[in-house]
Amino acid sequence: MPTFKLNGQDIPFEPGDTIIRAAWRAGVEIPHYCWHPGLSVAANCRMCLVHIKSGRQMALPVLVWDEAKQKYVPGTKPKLQPACQIAAAEGMEVDSVGEEVEQAHAHVQEFLLLNHPVDCPICDQAGECKLQDYYEEHQHTLKRKRTEPVHKPKAVRFGPTIVYDAERCIMCTRCIRFCDEVARDHVLDMRERGNRNEIVLAPGRQLDHKYTLMTEHVCPVGALTSRDFRFKARVWFLKTVPGVCSGCATGCTTHVDFDPRNGKVYRLRPRDNEACNQYWMCDDGMMSYKELHEGRVLTPVRGRGDEAELLLVEEAVDAAVAALRGVDHGKIGVVLSALHSNEDNFVLARLAEELGTDKLYLAARDAKLEGWEGDEILRHADPNPNRAGAHAAAGRTIEESVEDLVSDVLAGEVRAVIALGPWCGERAESLAPLAQLDAFICLSANEGTLPELASLLIPAASWAEQSGSFTNAKGISQEFERAVPAPNGVLPAWQTLVHVAAGLGLNLRYGRTSEVRNHMNAKPAASAAAPV
Amino acid sequence: MSDEFQPLLTSRYGIEGSHTLAVAEKHGAYRTARRALTMMSPEQIKEEVKKASLRGRGGAGFPAGVKWGFLNPKEGEEVYLVVNGDESEPGTFKDRTIMNQDPHRLIEGILITCWAIGAHTAYIYVRGELKHSIDSLDAALAEARTKGYVGDRPFGKPHPIHIWTHSGAGAYICGEETALLNSLEGRRGEPRLKPPFPAVKGAFGMPTIVNNVETISAVPDIVELGGERWCSLSRLAPTDGGVRLYGISGHVKKPGIYEAPVGITMRELIYDYGGGMLHDDHPLKAVIPGGSSTPVLRPDWTVDAPNEDHPLHAWHGKSELDVPMGVDTYRALGTMLGTCCATVMDDTVNMVEACRNLMRFYRHESCGQCTPCREGGAWLVDVLDGLLSGRGKVDDVNMLVDIANNMMGNTICAFGEGTAMPLLGFVQRFADEFVEVAKRGLPLDVRHDESTRALVKGGVAA
Ligand SMILES: Cc1cc2nc3c(=O)[nH]c(=O)nc-3n(C[C@H](O)[C@H](O)[C@H](O)COP(=O)(O)O)c2cc1C
Ligand code: SF4
Ligand code: SF4
Ligand code: FES
Repeated sequence: MPTFKLNGQDIPFEPGDTIIRAAWRAGVEIPHYCWHPGLSVAANCRMCLVHIKSGRQMALPVLVWDEAKQKYVPGTKPKLQPACQIAAAEGMEVDSVGEEVEQAHAHVQEFLLLNHPVDCPICDQAGECKLQDYYEEHQHTLKRKRTEPVHKPKAVRFGPTIVYDAERCIMCTRCIRFCDEVARDHVLDMRERGNRNEIVLAPGRQLDHKYTLMTEHVCPVGALTSRDFRFKARVWFLKTVPGVCSGCATGCTTHVDFDPRNGKVYRLRPRDNEACNQYWMCDDGMMSYKELHEGRVLTPVRGRGDEAELLLVEEAVDAAVAALRGVDHGKIGVVLSALHSNEDNFVLARLAEELGTDKLYLAARDAKLEGWEGDEILRHADPNPNRAGAHAAAGRTIEESVEDLVSDVLAGEVRAVIALGPWCGERAESLAPLAQLDAFICLSANEGTLPELASLLIPAASWAEQSGSFTNAKGISQEFERAVPAPNGVLPAWQTLVHVAAGLGLNLRYGRTSEVRNHMNAKPAASAAAPV
Repeated sequence: MSDEFQPLLTSRYGIEGSHTLAVAEKHGAYRTARRALTMMSPEQIKEEVKKASLRGRGGAGFPAGVKWGFLNPKEGEEVYLVVNGDESEPGTFKDRTIMNQDPHRLIEGILITCWAIGAHTAYIYVRGELKHSIDSLDAALAEARTKGYVGDRPFGKPHPIHIWTHSGAGAYICGEETALLNSLEGRRGEPRLKPPFPAVKGAFGMPTIVNNVETISAVPDIVELGGERWCSLSRLAPTDGGVRLYGISGHVKKPGIYEAPVGITMRELIYDYGGGMLHDDHPLKAVIPGGSSTPVLRPDWTVDAPNEDHPLHAWHGKSELDVPMGVDTYRALGTMLGTCCATVMDDTVNMVEACRNLMRFYRHESCGQCTPCREGGAWLVDVLDGLLSGRGKVDDVNMLVDIANNMMGNTICAFGEGTAMPLLGFVQRFADEFVEVAKRGLPLDVRHDESTRALVKGGVAA
């Protein structure tokens, strides 16, 4: 690979790379606002100015103070170049430090803050704002402008998800470029000129495409804020673990931001991933963290309707064992879930194997039923994060749906069911026969159609409450980590299943996630990604 | 002013009905185009233009022949000619005289140029406020189309040439060639990143030559006289050839547009062409040589070029006014020739006020795309407001220089320099006056424009 020198350090680059991109890939940051690895080059913020040593001096003079003559005389300085625009070239020597460059950085930074409200104490971006970071790194001077800053519209509602503050905006156009180039919807643009310009909506429009929260994410400052996250948390109190979105079969990798003090997840952000989602996520995916805190199943329930009784979490396993005892193992239907992790599905498939039943079914969300639409950008037509993983756990493609399970129940071939919840692709009406089963055990983190039908509902840890993995439609298995503790001592579904197996005297011994994973990976049939 | 000077660009000015095809043609219009298209090869024409050392008349002074040489269209690419008639630089009013009084000269130049560079389509982008110029061009184009000069077979040549006018919408920045192209394409008038330059990727993504109205209007004369002869009309031949339009406005007796050889001096322009200072008791204080973006000159400043290698050594010790007006000579002088339209100021003008007046224009016209220009330009006005209203400090003058120095070279387009450069020029040449105003506020014995009066009275700055 060819290389160039940045501050004396060799940086490899691919032909066509700009200086900033090659440096970024090598883990060296050149300060920047408008550049984003996933967007076109605008080169408008001028924060990334660097000195290319082979470059020329400026043709036009600047003024320098001549002490001896006690007056300003014409002087010269090197012509600095934006690192985001200039292509790297073999042997090029570039400096992003040094007096002239640092002076340029300091001044661009000062320019950007001239009319900025500096309302950090009430700004959600504080703590992860480039203006703050670069002020510390590159400016460090007091404000020299003594007059009132330019006033512009504040708290402009751009749509159901995003609020805009024009005074905080640095006009980097990242949001416009994101909508144009990634979301492919020219809904944002700039109006006016000079320092009165502002970002506006296309006439008659709202910012309402499927990727609006990404505009907030690419905004390097607090100009765009998410109506969901606004005023809810200060980012320095949040901790982050790597996650995988449960929204669809694309499996965008995420940062899960949570507050360890209250065990709450506050938002999801995309985690850069060339192979999968690049730098982006869709709105539904980003909002999918809501399911962690809403509509949760927190207590085991035995019986249905008026006869339902609440159990203690510790009583759930015994109840399950009791329900299954006496049922012909060969007539137990086992429902894997395209919504549950590889670990949950694998252990359930193993349980089926131990029970000696071949009656496997797959519960999966149905796009039409959920009003889900895929697109050419990120959103997969399949709104399930782990269909491929469920097939892999079974060691085969599971053709049988919950509808087939209903037929088998009606035919008397299935007498009891163990299912991973919460959703399946069938309407509740067509599932009525399942409500007749004496033993319908459902393990679920959330309420849904299957939990509704269960004769024994056992709460399960959500994806944020355990580490696990999803296998996306491309067959890539991606791991996520535990962010927050499960409430009420609730266990991951696979652990409950292990306990149930033990109660039934079956040989299914896994203590830790790593044991499940080792076994999963050692079983080629089960770990190979099955086609969807 | 030499008596034997034969007007070329302005030869038909003042003739009754010169804007009509009949009158223009009676006085020589389209003769050269007919000859060029029927008897000359594109290469021959390009060669003549190269020999002519025709420096662009739009401000930067780039040699037109060299620019045309950058064209290298790929298979399937169409070449466009775009004529820049945006003429919005304060103090500049030359192109409109061609468009108003002799539109057929421009059309003739376009025909020859299109033939030379292999273009079939030309756009004339005209500043929106110049309604009269647009109407005049449209009428002239209609006539030329009827005659068949503009159309599928100009002068019988199977090389279709179509010409369209396009009106701007009131933004100075749309004179910058890439902002112009964006505007032409119906986009926001913001300069594009370069490279690619228009000759590689211009209008609608195609190789495009952008030239000023006057540049293109000079082409027929160059072809008619031959590049060398036309070039030699200049006093600065062979590097800066031919004749050009000079504008002069401000405190002179005869403001207007005058044609003269390249390389007359500012002194000649003011005192011979411009008729001298407006009021005999108010002497010349400063002159902005070529549109508001060019640093101001001072008659009592002398050329400091003791070194024999210095391009201005011949004028060492002489007044700045005595340096011939050329693209390179004015660069060497620390200013620019720009559009070659001078703004003359007598001693009733306060330089801080004049500077603020211009800076307000730049604040208003910056496209706002890049940080140093958007914020720096407005800050300059802010600091100047402070100085003029008596809230200033002497150190503010240093701050002005610091702001402008850090706009220089750091912006996307030359607008940033067009803002900072004149400011630096004012401060360099009139530092004492800035310090004086900083210390004592605005002197009361000079005339003030309305917005400054509001400032001094404590009103809100516009
Ligand atoms: C801010 C700005 C404004 C400009 N305005 C004009 C203009 O009004 N007319 C013009 O011909 N050139 C203008 N120019 C110069 C053009 O960018 C370009 O250089 C010119 O049209 C090229 O033509 P020429 O080579 O024939 O001079 C402007 C440049 C800048 C940076
Ligand atoms: S809103 Fe944010 S992303 Fe959009 S231009 Fe302003 S600062 Fe940039
Ligand atoms: S220098 Fe000024 S006019 Fe030019 S692109 Fe930047 S903001 Fe726009
Ligand atoms: S990152 Fe904004 S100009 Fe390069």
